[in-house]
Amino acid sequence: MNTEVVIKANNISKKYDESYALDSIDIEVSKGQIMGLIGPNGAGKSTFLQSVLGLLKTEGNLEVLGLDPRKDRHKLLKEVCSITDVAVLPKWMTVQQLLSYMDGVHPGFDLDKCISILSRTNIKLHSKIKVLSRGMVVQLHLSLVMAIDAKILILDEPTLGLDLVYRKDFYSQLIEDYYEGNKTILISTHQVEEIEGVLSDAVFMNQGRIVMQDSIESINKKYLELRPDQNSINAAKSLNPMHHRTELGREVMLFEDMDKDKLMELGDVRPPVIADLFMAIMETTKGGGQS
Amino acid sequence: MIQVLKAMIVREIQEHKVAFVYAPFFVSIILCFVIASVYFGGTNIQTDQFNFSTEYYDEEIRQAMQSVSSVSRIDIVRTGLLVLGFPILLTVGFGLLAYSLSTFADERKDRSLIFWRSLPVSDLTTVLSKVFIVTLIVPLMVIPYIILLQLVAMTSASIFFATNDIVSFGWLWGSYIITDWFRIIFSLWAQALWSLPLFLWLMLAGTYAARPIAGAIVPPVILIVLEGVIFKTNLVLEFIENRIGFWSRSDSFPKEYQEIRVVDISDILLLFSTQAFWIGILASVILVAGIVYVRSSNSDHAID
Repeated sequence: MNTEVVIKANNISKKYDESYALDSIDIEVSKGQIMGLIGPNGAGKSTFLQSVLGLLKTEGNLEVLGLDPRKDRHKLLKEVCSITDVAVLPKWMTVQQLLSYMDGVHPGFDLDKCISILSRTNIKLHSKIKVLSRGMVVQLHLSLVMAIDAKILILDEPTLGLDLVYRKDFYSQLIEDYYEGNKTILISTHQVEEIEGVLSDAVFMNQGRIVMQDSIESINKKYLELRPDQNSINAAKSLNPMHHRTELGREVMLFEDMDKDKLMELGDVRPPVIADLFMAIMETTKGGGQS
Repeated sequence: MIQVLKAMIVREIQEHKVAFVYAPFFVSIILCFVIASVYFGGTNIQTDQFNFSTEYYDEEIRQAMQSVSSVSRIDIVRTGLLVLGFPILLTVGFGLLAYSLSTFADERKDRSLIFWRSLPVSDLTTVLSKVFIVTLIVPLMVIPYIILLQLVAMTSASIFFATNDIVSFGWLWGSYIITDWFRIIFSLWAQALWSLPLFLWLMLAGTYAARPIAGAIVPPVILIVLEGVIFKTNLVLEFIENRIGFWSRSDSFPKEYQEIRVVDISDILLLFSTQAFWIGILASVILVAGIVYVRSSNSDHAID
């Protein structure tokens, strides 16, 4: 893993009236990471992503590719591209007009590459954006950002409101490009289960604070989920699981820093899915923040 | 930078092609038809309730045209050609007012603002591209329609005069036609700069107001009323009236400019030497700064 830091956020806060959207958070993102921001509504994910894009003013020190996003927004956006909302492409334009515009204003945009990506979809160049389905608009938007030779890609709920087929297409297209281009990606979504296979790192957020941040590799080593055999339930409980729940009538226990061999003697052991780990940590910390 | 501005200007024209391309085109085609009808008497509708005739050049007018000097004829023709273009200019003028009010309001309404601001284009560049559209590009785009209209008028007149024993080519088709086209271009540019504070005010209203039309009208009305009540003056109203009108008819100009005439380049230089012009430019700079500030603060505002 390349350790060149591309996003450095120290003590970042954003206050609206009396409540904090971001409360003194620290995040470092290195080149090549695919970092997932995971949290409920109001966790501060979008606020953080918008501040990285220079769309929001925050307190604290924030550097993206060595630049201050607020002061050097348009310079930064040559190297950072984003999908921060679905269906925000101008509806009056045709696809061809949009591509020509992108070619004119974005120095990193590769028109031929974009046309090549679009040729794998049902989107026609002469179509007006307003006649495209919601899924096709997202496909078009993704094709635009994929055709930009950017160092960082920011995706804020990029598949919100899309059906399963389009969501699958979106992420498979994203993965394909990622492995070709070695981009750094920051992504926030509610559909955690759909991106966890893509992520290299995860940041759990709640109420403007970071609850946990780690690499997926480290999470898989650190946390283990045990489905104990019927006669081993008490033995498993005696090992003090950090969280336990019932799933289809079967006990499921989550352990932190526990010897895998020891757990395997008690039942089925596997790394937890990110969504379950998030829920467990949220319940354990009762919504409070810890780094 | 030039490539970016070019792409942005093309985008503006594509988005507002009805106001900047189709509307003046249709008006000029209708005018061409009317002009041809006037010369050739193509229209003569007389009923009990309605009486309309384009049989305009009767014997009296024919004799009058033959009796005046060639210099006077040229002046009449130049003034006539200038007046011909007014409907097109009015159409584009209304188009520009509508454009100014809607250009920043629409991007908030359809939320494309989020997309535009995700691209490496500064808010200042965006605002300047729209200022270029209003002050430079659209006035230039009007010229082909005016040329078409004038050529149709001149050709119709030539045929008409030739068939009425008036030798017209010597004074009708003088080189002044081409130089007048350039004068019209510069005059329109000057007009756009003169009226720029109004266009920018409308753009600002579209940038900040939930209801742009109310946002454009209510604050000036309040200012006018307050000024009248408190200071017993009407400077704001006069400023607005002045900027809506033709620059050559503002109070800063000598009385002879009140006549309809094709302006000379020296007249425009006279405009640049007036205090009123530079007050307008200063107001425009302040308004541009305001639009940049408000647009950069807009994220996802609701708009009616």
